Amino acid sequence: MVLKSISLINFRLHKNSSLNFSEKINFIVGGNGQGKTTLLEAIYYLTTTKSFVATTDADAVRFGERSFELNGEFKNQTENKIRIFYSKETGKKQIFLNKKQIVKSSAIIGKFPVVTLTQADHYITKGYPEERRKFVNSVISQASSTYLNYLIEYNRILRQRSSLMQRIKENYSEKLLNEFDAWTEYLISNGVEIVKHRLSFVKEFNEYLKEAYANIMLQEEIPIIKYKFLETSDEKNAEEFFRKELRARRDDELRRAANLVGPHRDEFRFYFNNLELRKFGSQGQHKTFQIALRFAQFFYLKDKLNKTPIFLMDDIFGELDAFRSTKISEYLGKIGQAFITLTDFSNYEEILNAENDKLIKVENGECVYE
Amino acid sequence: MQIAEPLQIAIDELSKLPSIGKKSALRLALFLLKSQPDEVDNLVKAILDLKRKIKFCKICGNISVEDECEICSNPKRDRKIICVVEEASDIIAIEKTNEYNGLYHVLGGVLDPLKGVGIESLNFASLLTRIENEEVKEILLALNPDAEGEATSIYLARQLKARGVKVSRIARGLPIGGDLEFADEATIGRALINRTEL
Repeated sequence: MVLKSISLINFRLHKNSSLNFSEKINFIVGGNGQGKTTLLEAIYYLTTTKSFVATTDADAVRFGERSFELNGEFKNQTENKIRIFYSKETGKKQIFLNKKQIVKSSAIIGKFPVVTLTQADHYITKGYPEERRKFVNSVISQASSTYLNYLIEYNRILRQRSSLMQRIKENYSEKLLNEFDAWTEYLISNGVEIVKHRLSFVKEFNEYLKEAYANIMLQEEIPIIKYKFLETSDEKNAEEFFRKELRARRDDELRRAANLVGPHRDEFRFYFNNLELRKFGSQGQHKTFQIALRFAQFFYLKDKLNKTPIFLMDDIFGELDAFRSTKISEYLGKIGQAFITLTDFSNYEEILNAENDKLIKVENGECVYE
Repeated sequence: MQIAEPLQIAIDELSKLPSIGKKSALRLALFLLKSQPDEVDNLVKAILDLKRKIKFCKICGNISVEDECEICSNPKRDRKIICVVEEASDIIAIEKTNEYNGLYHVLGGVLDPLKGVGIESLNFASLLTRIENEEVKEILLALNPDAEGEATSIYLARQLKARGVKVSRIARGLPIGGDLEFADEATIGRALINRTEL
């Protein structure tokens, strides 16, 4: 899949920017705060309807304006146009696919696969278990809308269940406990589906991760993601283990009025050569793992969806030596379309393949081709 | 801008109706203002009659003119099976199919702790009374397939089975006349899980 062109109207610093892109690598160069990352953000918005930086839609409206608009033209076997319009006054975000309005954003997720590699990725390898769950959830959701639906339902059950536990805590009764057991039963049947998806995902994804390590990062270390649900990695046991643990922690859950057991507390542990990355990884090993994760995601999605994702890299090359950066961008050029932001291009001039690649300079929200 | 008081009151009242905003309410009020007096009288009478003459069946909770609804008082209906639905409007939907000849029971909602709805606020006790007094053999659950509907179905199934009644649920699957390729994955997934032998 290829993003042919994009336009940004009143989106952050950009008053009105229209750009045509290369089908290979697009280097976006500019100083800090000039609006390079905003271009990536706009692409991410168009493919997922959300921002990859943690802000509200209203924050993305250009200062002093009332709304923003994004347009993107994608080419796969067919051409698709996506338009996103957000108005501050109504607080509503409207999404159009080929001029037809889309109600559920889940209708778009996975249709236009995108992979991002940003500085924030260091949270995935260094941060709390929640960050790794988020990563795993986002990759599986992109590949399987069934999983996404289970996840949405599961989160709904968690909210209902904790609200009920709160009521039981304030107002204990047998009847409420019977209701609680019904919610628990539904938690199990939904949770087990999530666990099944995760177990088979991790097994498959590890192969992609190993390949990325060896072929792209040129590392001899063997990376692996380890995942167990309550000490089992056999999906046949998931239900029994879940049920048992819930029974064991029932009083604890009711006393604290909190969901203490389930896949929402799963841990995904990252290892290289049988050492846990979080404990033993050097700065460089973390970086290597982060990049490998994203390349593994890229090829995993490509195989699952039969569509080549768009690769977005924000300010990554600054952290890598010239040799690594060259290797990665050469590789990217072979596999699909990529967008790479850089603060300074002078060190990378030899990377640019003038025939296929494009160099875009961004200054104070204005874009020019070089 | 100053709006004549009776018009303002009419707008305020109309905008309390579901899916009617201030603008639609204004349009409706102006339409009524221009209508013939007897047309407005008919509308008012219809609304008043709705409230005065319609009640809820004391057995199943269905919309009814009499104390007992037409379904509950119909001797031709199968009294061995009761279909449990969320709202009376669901009965209308099922009745249109002409495929079901049993009785109904309107729950009046589903378990929804976030909104403070527990089993106490639903018409569940009356269902238990019904299965004790009547010769009910089967309860058919027809609640919406969302989180709240599912949890409620599980709750009802457990309670009812404990009292020795057979409990079934309506199947989930593909819409008739729909193309498989256009159905959403969740529906196809459920249809695969609930597959039937031929």
